Amino acid sequence: MILVENLVKKYGAFTAVDGVSLEVASGEIHGFLGPNGAGKTTTIRIIAGLLKPTSGRVLIDGQDLSVSPEAAKASLGFIPDRPFIYEKLTAGEFLRFHGGLYGMDGDGIGHRVAEVLELFELTKWEGELVESFSHGMKQRLVMCAAFLHRPRAVLVDEPMVGLDPRGARLIKQVFRHMSARGVAILMSTHTLEVAHEMCDRISIIQKGRIIARGTVDDLRRLAGSADEQLTPVFLKLTGGAGLQEIDEDL
Amino acid sequence: MTSQPFPYLLLPTFWAARNRARRREPGDSARLMLFGSIGLGVGAAIFAAVFWLTWQLDYYEELGDYLLRLGLSWLFLTFLSFLAFSGIVTALSTFFLSEDLRLLVAAPVAPPRLFYSRFARTVGQSSWMVATFLAPVLLAVGLARCAGPLFYATALLALAAFVVIPVALGSVVTLALVNVFPARRARDVLMLMGLLFAVSLVLMLRFLRPERLLNVESLPDLTAFFATLQSPVTPLLPSFWAGETVFAALRGGVDWVHAGALVTTALAFAVMARAAFVRYYFSGWSKAQEARKARFTRMRGLDVLARRLPIRPLGRSLLLKDVKVFLRDTTQWSQLLLLVALVLVYLYNFRVLDLERIPYMGAMVKNVYAFVNLAMAAFVLSAVAVRFVFPAVSAEGPAFWIIRSAPVPMRSFLWSKFWTGLVPILLMAEALTVVSNRFLGADPFLRVLGAVAIFFMSFALVGLATGMGAQHPRFNAENTTQVAGSYGGIAFMVLAVLYILVMIALLAWPSSLYLWHRFRELPVPARSQAWMALCGLAAIALSVGTFWASMQKGIRSLEDMG
Repeated sequence: MILVENLVKKYGAFTAVDGVSLEVASGEIHGFLGPNGAGKTTTIRIIAGLLKPTSGRVLIDGQDLSVSPEAAKASLGFIPDRPFIYEKLTAGEFLRFHGGLYGMDGDGIGHRVAEVLELFELTKWEGELVESFSHGMKQRLVMCAAFLHRPRAVLVDEPMVGLDPRGARLIKQVFRHMSARGVAILMSTHTLEVAHEMCDRISIIQKGRIIARGTVDDLRRLAGSADEQLTPVFLKLTGGAGLQEIDEDL
Repeated sequence: MTSQPFPYLLLPTFWAARNRARRREPGDSARLMLFGSIGLGVGAAIFAAVFWLTWQLDYYEELGDYLLRLGLSWLFLTFLSFLAFSGIVTALSTFFLSEDLRLLVAAPVAPPRLFYSRFARTVGQSSWMVATFLAPVLLAVGLARCAGPLFYATALLALAAFVVIPVALGSVVTLALVNVFPARRARDVLMLMGLLFAVSLVLMLRFLRPERLLNVESLPDLTAFFATLQSPVTPLLPSFWAGETVFAALRGGVDWVHAGALVTTALAFAVMARAAFVRYYFSGWSKAQEARKARFTRMRGLDVLARRLPIRPLGRSLLLKDVKVFLRDTTQWSQLLLLVALVLVYLYNFRVLDLERIPYMGAMVKNVYAFVNLAMAAFVLSAVAVRFVFPAVSAEGPAFWIIRSAPVPMRSFLWSKFWTGLVPILLMAEALTVVSNRFLGADPFLRVLGAVAIFFMSFALVGLATGMGAQHPRFNAENTTQVAGSYGGIAFMVLAVLYILVMIALLAWPSSLYLWHRFRELPVPARSQAWMALCGLAAIALSVGTFWASMQKGIRSLEDMG
């Protein structure tokens, strides 16, 4: 569903993404982990069509993003890490507008808007301006928009930032539900527990390159770690094991 | 608690400016050259005009001195209200809305230190424009009168003390307002107040009809006009004290009374503002953090109207979003008030224009004025476009990811921005040209020509603004005024003025040739007809080319983004 081949992004002499390849199948939740500045967000933004890659290609539902960007984007839902939305629109207006961008019009959209608002527990806020929303509510509204047009693939950059435990649980349930219905989800996160709990497979990126990929068990084997938790495995693979020792000393 | 003196808190501002100057971005040098040349040009023009005027006034001895003294006092009086209003608006931002305040208020910084640092910033930000304008004025006056160093030192001191008073007053007004309203609502109230103030000032000044003073028959009015300048309140204002202090220094003396009044009042106001801030700042700051439920109109009528428009769903969604966001943002639509006032003044000028006073020349002058009118209308159109159309792409702000990640071709997005801007601007420009030409009594041929020309010019200028706005977007700008005043905005205005001048030249010459022949009832020679047709075609080609090339460039630059 999401296919990334040899993606490279250079900023002058600096290579932010260096030959990244990924494949997320229909119904799969794929975790995308890495330390700060490893190239996660850059990769996600390229797949979302926000950044032009220096080389490589991205296919969404078989459509090449650089050849037919509109067709590729039509199958994709994107949830960015920071939920910037039009502050002077109400939640309902924003979703209707968003639907319009994906070609949804007419009476059907009202029903679908009500459906997603209910799914993300925002129904009673439909008529309120976005500017009065908290960060978590904005994040949930962006998720409503991402699922509004029934995408076949969803890109998520740091889904749990700013969400309370109830909101986080809700998002996990929704993601599981969507994946069961065949939606491919590529999720970048720092929250290793979330990745451990939800992802079918995980790719770890460091200095712009994928250094490990597989299920949590595969990664554990690769790191030579018998630890149940993902954190020590991640630190071992990314060379940050020293940090854990400091953490334990403290 | 920090024991650093208050200027320490200003360091990040200086460091940020220094870093910005060190790290040049592409286009910075061109921007510096452009703005620098414009600034120097304006400064030199002000200096030359004031120097010449002061030089001339010197010939009239006592009357000249009197007028110079009056002029200085009036200059300071004009800036007094400007500074007070600017102080209110700037204080709202520096004391209550700045992003860095969370860090500073949370840090162990004593309230007086925080006050001094923020007050210094408020004074600097609200008065730099006044200081920049007054510098060439005072320099020109000093040089024209061969003043010594005492004059410049006194002028500097008087200026510093003068700006502190209204800004301190403005800051205290802001403090009071924020303690009553939440800061974000207070900003809307202030914007509206300021604009209403500006609109009434413009209308009042215009409807006083100052052109009457230029008539020889109204010389008695001139005396009366100067008499009104001396109201009993004037000597109690800091502007008068500043004017007197500077004038005394110009003559080589020191006016201790007025200089003393100025400096002690400035100190007293600063102390008073400090006391008010130490007592009430935290409660106001705390209130500014409260997010109240905003009141707004749902504009359901707009939804119904948009549904009836024969446009695609994508275009309808973009149009509805743009119109609603615009109308719900007070800082945006309230500027339309100023625009309406300017248009009214513009039309009123044509209403009162008495061209019949010029015997035999009436018809010719009217027709010349028809082209001046066309140029002016196009200039108004450019000014509206730079303020409302040029920032259209930048207005998406950080939310632009929504459009970019959606299956929306950048072409459709930019064309939607173009049509949303074109319709109201075209209607305004047509109304302006048709009504003013009617008031003017221009020849029917020129009335039709004006209406057709402004149609093409609207397409060209709105296309230029939309396209250049897409080529020079500023998604991180705090407001659209900042976008309009950016390098791209200035470059748009320069190109727009050039386009208007070429268009007027291309239209005026064949039109005058045609009218000349018609008045004399002579046939237009074939060769001239060919030239006239060529000029008309060139004007159309220029307009279509400007419009099309700008839009294509804008689309390409949006597609190449990232």
